[in-house]
This record gives sequence, C-alpha cells and structure tokens, in this order.
Amino acid sequence: MSVLEMNNIKKGFGSKVVLKDITLKVEKGEVVSIIGPSGSGKSTLLRCATFLEYIDNGEISYIGKKIVDKGAVYPSKKELQQACANFGLVFQNFNLFPHFSVMKNISDAPIVIQKRNKEEVYRETRELLKKVGIEDKENAYPCELSGGQQQRVAIARALALHPQMLYFDEPTSALDPEITAEILRVLKSLAAEKMTMVIVTHEIDFARAVSDRVVFMDGGVIIEEGKPEDVIDNPENERTKAFLKKLHV
Amino acid sequence: MDNTRIIKKVLYLFVTAIFAGFIFAGSVCQAKQEFIVGFDAEFPPYGYMDDNGDYTGFDLDLAEEVCKRKGWSLVKRPIKWDFKDSELDSGSISCLWNGFTMNGRESEYTWSTPYVDNSQVVITSSSSGIKKLKDLSGKILAVQADSSALAALEGENATDENKALAKSLKELQQVDDYNSAFMNLESGMVDAIAMDIGVASYQLSSKGDKFVMLDERLATEKYGIGFKSGNTELRDEVQLALLEMLDDGTFENIAKKWGLQDNVCLSIEDTTYIDGSKVPAMAGDSQDNVGSREVKKEDASSKNGNSVVKADVPKVKKLSVTHIIKQLSSGLAATIAIFVLTILFSMPLGLVIAAARMSKFKIIQWIAKIYISIMRGTPLMLQLIVVFFAPFYIFEISTPYSYRFYAVIIGFSLNYAAYFAEIYRSGIQSIPQGQREAAQIMGYSRGQTFSRIIFPQMVKRVLPPVTNEVITLVKDTSLAFALSYAEMFTKAKQIAAAQTSLLPLFVAGVFYYIFNFIVAFIMERIEKRLDYYK
Repeated sequence: MSVLEMNNIKKGFGSKVVLKDITLKVEKGEVVSIIGPSGSGKSTLLRCATFLEYIDNGEISYIGKKIVDKGAVYPSKKELQQACANFGLVFQNFNLFPHFSVMKNISDAPIVIQKRNKEEVYRETRELLKKVGIEDKENAYPCELSGGQQQRVAIARALALHPQMLYFDEPTSALDPEITAEILRVLKSLAAEKMTMVIVTHEIDFARAVSDRVVFMDGGVIIEEGKPEDVIDNPENERTKAFLKKLHV
Repeated sequence: MDNTRIIKKVLYLFVTAIFAGFIFAGSVCQAKQEFIVGFDAEFPPYGYMDDNGDYTGFDLDLAEEVCKRKGWSLVKRPIKWDFKDSELDSGSISCLWNGFTMNGRESEYTWSTPYVDNSQVVITSSSSGIKKLKDLSGKILAVQADSSALAALEGENATDENKALAKSLKELQQVDDYNSAFMNLESGMVDAIAMDIGVASYQLSSKGDKFVMLDERLATEKYGIGFKSGNTELRDEVQLALLEMLDDGTFENIAKKWGLQDNVCLSIEDTTYIDGSKVPAMAGDSQDNVGSREVKKEDASSKNGNSVVKADVPKVKKLSVTHIIKQLSSGLAATIAIFVLTILFSMPLGLVIAAARMSKFKIIQWIAKIYISIMRGTPLMLQLIVVFFAPFYIFEISTPYSYRFYAVIIGFSLNYAAYFAEIYRSGIQSIPQGQREAAQIMGYSRGQTFSRIIFPQMVKRVLPPVTNEVITLVKDTSLAFALSYAEMFTKAKQIAAAQTSLLPLFVAGVFYYIFNFIVAFIMERIEKRLDYYK
C-alpha cells in the first residue's frame, strides 16, 4: 500500500497554472527526490501534499485513506488537521519556534497535541537529538545554533511526532557544502531505518546519493521518473538532459 | 525562563491591580438620602479646595447646614462648568449651587429665591492705567467661558453699553478658570478680567495691591440655587431650610465667615419665586414672628447696596511643597486606578479588536476598521463625554453617582483598545508565515498556534510600541478632568486655583514624570527578560 498517493493534481495561482495533472505515488520505505528547475512546480507539489496549499483538482490519499476526494473535495478542518499526523515536514528555512528551547521545540507538540507522557517524550527527545548529533544542545535556543544544527533540530522535531513519512523542502539550500554532507548522513541513516521520505531538491548529487527514485519535474508536469542512475545519468527526455547539462557545467 | 512564566507573572500583577481598582471604585456606599451639590471647584470663595484638600466655600457651608437640618448626606461634586446642564439633566447632581447667576438664565432652571447680590466687575493691574470701563477700548479683556460676565457683555440680555464695550475691545478672551485668567493678567497677556465681585475680592485679597477693581459695574445680578427644571419639590425643601437658617441667624454667620455679609439678599419677604410660584410657608410660621424677622431683614439690607465688598475673606495660606504633595497624593491614587484598570481592560480588548480586524469575514473586518478609525480619529476627551452622557441622552437612564468613575474607565479602555489593536495587528502580521505553517503541519489547532506560537512572539515584538502607548496613557489620565473625575491633574488645578499659584501644576508634573519613569523601567525589565531569543 502506498504511503502517499496523489492523482491528477491540478493547481494554479490566478491565471497561472503551476501543476498540470500530476500523479505521484510513494511506497512505504521509499526515498523519492523531486528535482527540476525553479518554477517547475516541485515546491508547490510538496505544499499541496502537506495541505499548505489547496489543490484545484485531483485527489490525495495517505496510507490508503482518501483525504482529499476526487475533484479536490476537502474534508473538515479537523479531519485535515488529523491527516497531518501522517507526515512531517522539514522546511527550507527550518521554521523553528524561536521562543522555545531546542528541547521544547521538539517535545511541545508530542506533549500538547499527542498528549503523551512528558518524561517519555523528554527521554525520546534526547535520543532523537543524539541521533541527529546535537545531544548537547537541548537547552539552547534556535538563535544560538548554526544553520546545520537548526536543520537537525527541525528533523528531530518532525520525527518526534512519529510520522509515516517525512517531506524535505530544499533541505540543503541554506547550508554550506560540508554541512550538507552531515545532513546527508542523517538522511541516509533514516533511510536505513526504512523511513519514507520525499525530498524536494535541486542538488543532483544529493538526490543521487539518497534516493531510490528520482522524479524530474518541469513546467508543472512530471517529465521523467525512475532510479537515480537512470534519470540522472541516462536521461531520456530532452528537457531533463538540458536541465542536467546546465547543472553539470 | 520562558515566555509563559513572564506572562503569568504579568497576569498576576494585573489581577492584583484590578482588585485594588475595585476597592477604589466600590468605596461609594449609599445610606442616607444624598444631596449632591454640583460646583466649580475653582471658584473661591463660593466653592474651592482648601489648604487641607477639602472642598469648602460659602455655598458649600450653606449646603452643609441645609443637609444637617434635613438629615441628608452632602456630596460635594466638583464638575466641569461647561457640562453643568448635562450633569443636572442626567441626575448626577441634585443642584447647581456655586455663585450661580440667575440673570439671563431665568427660565432654564427651577430657581430658589436669590440669596446673594452680585455684581460683575473689572479687575486690572494697578499699573495698567485703566480707570474706567471706556478705557478698555482696544484692550484685551478676559472672561471665564460660560460665565455671567460673558453673558453681561455678549449675551442676549446684555445692555447696549456693554455690547458697545465688548465691540470696542481688541479681543474678548475666554479662559477656562479664574486662576488662568489671573496668570494671563499677571503676565500681560490680557489687560483686564471681568468677573463676579465675590470671586474678585477673594483673588484681590491673596494677590495684594498688584491689582485693582474698577468702580464701575458691568452688571448687577443675583445668585440663586439652580435645580433641574420642574424639580420644585427639592427646591422648596432647600428654600425652607435656608429661610430657617436666615431666621435663626446661621445664614448671616456663614456669610460673615466668608466676608459676604454685605452681599446677602435672601429675604423672607421674598415670597415669590422667579417662575411665579409661591414660596411655601415655613412650618410654625405665625404672625408674631414676622416682626422680628423683618427687623433682621432691614438690618441686612441696610448694609447692602452698591458698596464695594471689603476683602475680609479668609486669607489664603500659601502651601508648602510637601503640603501640596500630600494633597496631590489622593489624586494620585485615582490616577493610578484609571491607569491600571485601563491597561487591564484595553489590552485584552485590543486583542479581540485585532482579531476582528484580521477576520476572514469582511463585515467583522469592516466593523473593526470603522471602530479603530473613529477611536483614533476623534478626541479622547469627546469620547469620554459621550460615554458619560450617552446613557442619559440616548437611553434616558439616570446614571448613579459612581458611573463617573466607570465612564472614565470605559472611555479610556475603548480608546486605548483601538490603539493596542493596531499595535497587536502589526506584531502578529510581522511573524513569518512559516511559523504558522510549521505549527499547522505539526497538528497545532488554530487556537493552540495562536496561544503557544504567535502570541508569545507577538508580545516581544510589540513591547516597544506598547511601552509608548502606556506612557502616553499615564499622561492622558489627566483628561479625566473632562468628566470632573478628581484625578491628580484635576486636583492640581483646583489647588492651583485656591492658591492662585502655578506651583501645584509643576508638582503634578513631577509626579507624572516619576510615574512614567517607573513604568518605563518596568517595561524595560520585561523587554530584557524576553531578550533570551531573537
């Protein structure tokens, strides 16, 4: 059963059509990278999948459960909010809560929203911090952390809610190359644990290194998808070739 | 060390403060029938604030004696003279008793019989060279707004000579109170003041020979007690008590105390009110007594006439600064009460208005927009007046005595809430959309997102503009004087009038500065406490 299933998604802003009939399925344990030039609609696709944007047409299901029905029929606010529990999202600019400590950034939602036992959540938070390699920062505030450290807190914060899958929006675009390598390591360890992940990126090397499948988007449509070695190294479509060529220069 | 703890602390402070506020508000209790005398507390010797900060004067002494005889409890209610009619109509005062000229207002009130013969005189500085009324031509003459002197010069019933005099002036300058009139005269901003002789004598007695009174009179007129039109029942009761006092000599004694014995014109002979109705007969009145009373009356009238009142009014004792501070501190409590309660109500109300302003529903959004626009676009003083008088003029409800205080709080809170709403809105809108999106995906409800994520960050962002508003509020509390609420600045003005000096106003200024210094200090501390994140 697919974790995510998006069928015939259409989305426009005013008269500008951004997504034209996109269909995307993500299986359990799969790591999918969405690549493409800026303006190709990849970020919009991710925002639609996470309900930050409302689609104009199509349907969205998580774990076989229809959330947005055919013809973009959305459920109640409450149901939509509950559906958000299926996934976590790591934002491009992290969006940590600046007034919360690292500990509270990660533990607040599990305690307040999932009403889990405080001590248990704190214990788990510390384990998560260890996993992403910043176990000494639990009392720090986001403004005291480097970009890479903030990114790791953001990943831990998403994981703390025990989602079925994780979305990453340009996870490395705000980071130095050497820190990118560290984030890659964290993602790889998550992949090894069979965490389902969808990563929007325009870093080809990163996509190649981490994904099981690469989706190339341009002009609001999926041009090509497949194993990274196929799409990245032996693209069939001219537009994919052109895009990759530009990047390799 | 996080936001919620600080917010809790601030809330705790607020709750403590609201209780303190209600103790102030609730300190009025009613037992006996109240007789509320409305007067201008800057009008010595008829009604003003004495050295101890108590309201006193000839009229108030008379009222006190009437109440003693009737078993009423006297409430001395200083009012803003401009609003005397609204005060009387709305029932927030029982009568106007404050050197209140009957002439020209005969049909506007239900009057007692006249009790003081009063003339309008002109005061000028000794060195001005003005000796006669015609010397005023081309000069600047000051009068109190809405006063008999003004009516005598420009009113409908003004004599032709007076009208001509008014025309010949360079300017007829209306002033708020006699203290500022004298300050104007002293500093040469005006050349002369036209005013009631009783008040003039009092002022001259404290100013020494710097000023002189012209021999010519602008007008001769009489003082009466003004009741709401139609309220003959209360008028008769007071009238009878006064006649009883006249009969046993108490009235004369009180007049002597204030140096007004030569001006008394209350008479038992006077059996008809100005509206044509009869003065009721005194209880136990019999023919035998009439003779003796007549003697007394003649006695009084023989002293009457056009003689200039000698200034044997109680001498004004100059207060020391410490004394002024002591007197102002009672007004300070009222100022703090207004300040604290306004903060307490306007800050949360501002949040509601900000929410309405940002509502998805266009109608709610527009209501909030219009509300904010009116509150910011009209003077706060006008809003206070509207809040105070609206219950009577719109809904015809007589408001209780304590409503004055509530009106001040309601007026201030409604006004400040509009300003806070806009500050909050700017604070809320300055928080990146990403914060809301992150919260939404993590499953926070809209309410949780606001209370846990948006609000604490907003608080930090809006602190500097909020501090500005709060400091402005400290100074704005002085606008409560529009409703004659005895906060610190009103007190200071009253002391200044009685003292004929500016010093109390400066002392009040120092109080405001210290108050604001403390407020600024506290706000700075809160800002520092929230400095742990960026």
